[in-house]
Amino acid sequence: MRPAAIIGTGQTDHGRCRDDVSQPELIREAANRALADADISPADVDAVVLANMEMFEGRALPELWVGEGAFANRKPCLKVATGGTSGTSSCIAGFHQAASGLFDVVLVIGFEKHSEGHTQTGMALTDPFWDRGVASGALGNFALSISQYMAERGVTREQAARVAVKSRRNAAMNPHAHLKDANATIEDVMSSRVLAHPVRLMDMCPQSDGAAAIVIASAEHAAKLCSRPAWIKAAATRHEQPYIGDIDRRLLTMRTLRDAAQSVYARTGIREPLKQLDVAEIYEPVTYAELAWYEVLGFCAEGEAGRLIEDGITEMGGELPVNPSGGVLCANPVGATGVIRVAEAAAQILRRAGAHQIDGARTALATGYGVYAWADALILGSTP
Amino acid sequence: MNERISVDVEMRQSWRYASGAAMERFCEGLRNKRIEALRCEGCGRRYLPPRPFCGNCHLHLSHWVPVAQEGVLEAWTVVCLPFLDGRTGTVRNGPYGMGLVRLDGADTTLNHYLAETDPSRLAVGLRVRAAWRDDLRGAIDDILHFEVMQ
Amino acid sequence: MMREESIRIPFRFAAGRAGSRMLAALRDDKQILGSHCPVCVRTLAPARPFCPECGGENLKTVELGSGAVLVSWTDMPGRGLFALVRPDGADTAMIHKLLGQSGDFHIGARLRAVFAAERRGHIADLQGFEPDPGSAA
Repeated sequence: MRPAAIIGTGQTDHGRCRDDVSQPELIREAANRALADADISPADVDAVVLANMEMFEGRALPELWVGEGAFANRKPCLKVATGGTSGTSSCIAGFHQAASGLFDVVLVIGFEKHSEGHTQTGMALTDPFWDRGVASGALGNFALSISQYMAERGVTREQAARVAVKSRRNAAMNPHAHLKDANATIEDVMSSRVLAHPVRLMDMCPQSDGAAAIVIASAEHAAKLCSRPAWIKAAATRHEQPYIGDIDRRLLTMRTLRDAAQSVYARTGIREPLKQLDVAEIYEPVTYAELAWYEVLGFCAEGEAGRLIEDGITEMGGELPVNPSGGVLCANPVGATGVIRVAEAAAQILRRAGAHQIDGARTALATGYGVYAWADALILGSTP
Repeated sequence: MNERISVDVEMRQSWRYASGAAMERFCEGLRNKRIEALRCEGCGRRYLPPRPFCGNCHLHLSHWVPVAQEGVLEAWTVVCLPFLDGRTGTVRNGPYGMGLVRLDGADTTLNHYLAETDPSRLAVGLRVRAAWRDDLRGAIDDILHFEVMQ
Repeated sequence: MMREESIRIPFRFAAGRAGSRMLAALRDDKQILGSHCPVCVRTLAPARPFCPECGGENLKTVELGSGAVLVSWTDMPGRGLFALVRPDGADTAMIHKLLGQSGDFHIGARLRAVFAAERRGHIADLQGFEPDPGSAA
């Protein structure tokens, strides 16, 4: 393995319904912005990795339709599909391609157009003998796990609401975010309608249309093309028994995420994540999950997540800002969502995050989450 | 030319799935209101619903053990959002209760419906019992839902 | 044990910038639009947002003829005749239906487009291609 780095990122203007563009046009929007950010041309790209959920838009082989938008014509093009982790997994696949010496410059693009299909039904098309008859989509799955988290760790609805307020306030500084509100209040969150007890509308991530892309380059090319690349220091992915009832208290334990994080921490010498990380872009599909994962990711001890958010530790000006972009709660084009985490973490290192830049960010964590069955973690840094 | 044209497509798909031997035996049991789990000879974990392999030990599972029709509610929610059913494409309206139930004699929890839809009457740790449909068909919905035991 | 299921799920796809232009032209003007790539010097049928060959976006929208040449075709029993046809003015072929009997067609035959009487901005506004009786080919 040789070092590899992210030298450019690009995102579409995510929204509820991007009816103005077809799927290939949406992808091109993100790809163009990533290539422009990296200051390279399509001819410089050696390979393309795509991430998408397929069934959400009800069309098989998306790469067949959108590949041209991704500049994949006559290039090696690989599709990665690992649920919600598809985006982060595709970034890791692109990293492996560049770090292994297989290719020098890899373009990774994730996308989703939720407005065109049925996300929750796409999720429910699982095991036809058992799961499918009792599926209630991502929402029901989260809500079930949250009841355990609240019962065992005493986390409150107000603490969860604080996460939503932080996200919307941060998103107000992010031109790409789908939902933004600098003035959102805890009361707004707690009075929004119940989707599945105890999850309210503002606790839950939206379904967005959008695409995101990053350009990964081998060490030699990164040094040539970029004055301050975001080096991928370590990446890990973990799979798990997929049946919802198999893993006890899985939101609390989330052993895929814990194991993936411990793996990248160990390889980068991180013993105290709260102190040693400068910024984190974590895949938090619901407010309560962000709190649970503060604990799983080692930002605090078990049961301390509520205090962390109340004390503002993870706010923009706090010791470890979490999701300066507004996170998944403010933009969620699923196939792109993991790419967005990595792109936002990279933008912090590249010093290109604009109004939500964390001053002096040198070490960043990005994570991916896919129905508890998958988790990814990446550490990005300012030096190889 | 700023007109935005979209194309409506209704996907009609039919599928035919093989259950495998473990799920077949399990579904036959349901037809007789009998619930069984498969125990892993490696770690001793009793899997419900049964499946051919232990994800932890990677061993093939073949040791059947009986499971009670009642157990503990380990997690719950009441879903209020309408949901497009993955088996038919028809809309299932809320509110409906969902739970993870650890039946006595099993080590994993079962994802299923709850009869109760009032959040104030649901809590982790409650005892619940299976309610069966009248015409048993050897499928998951032979269990209609779980009822909170008084 | 087998389990059979059938499902119906509605989807709604945005045709996007190039697609909307093309479908509107079918509906309003019974006109097939293509895209000319000045880099590849090639005219694509139907219209696209970018050139599939060079990736370029500076494509010029061009009006293609309603006449076409049959490039290849097949007869799918019970489903009809499907073909790749190259509209006049285009360098690439598009897939569509052939209207007629299999004996009516041969590779290289001249065809003409048939449009639906009621059009709604859909690829079915172009019903298919039939033999061109005015052609000696």
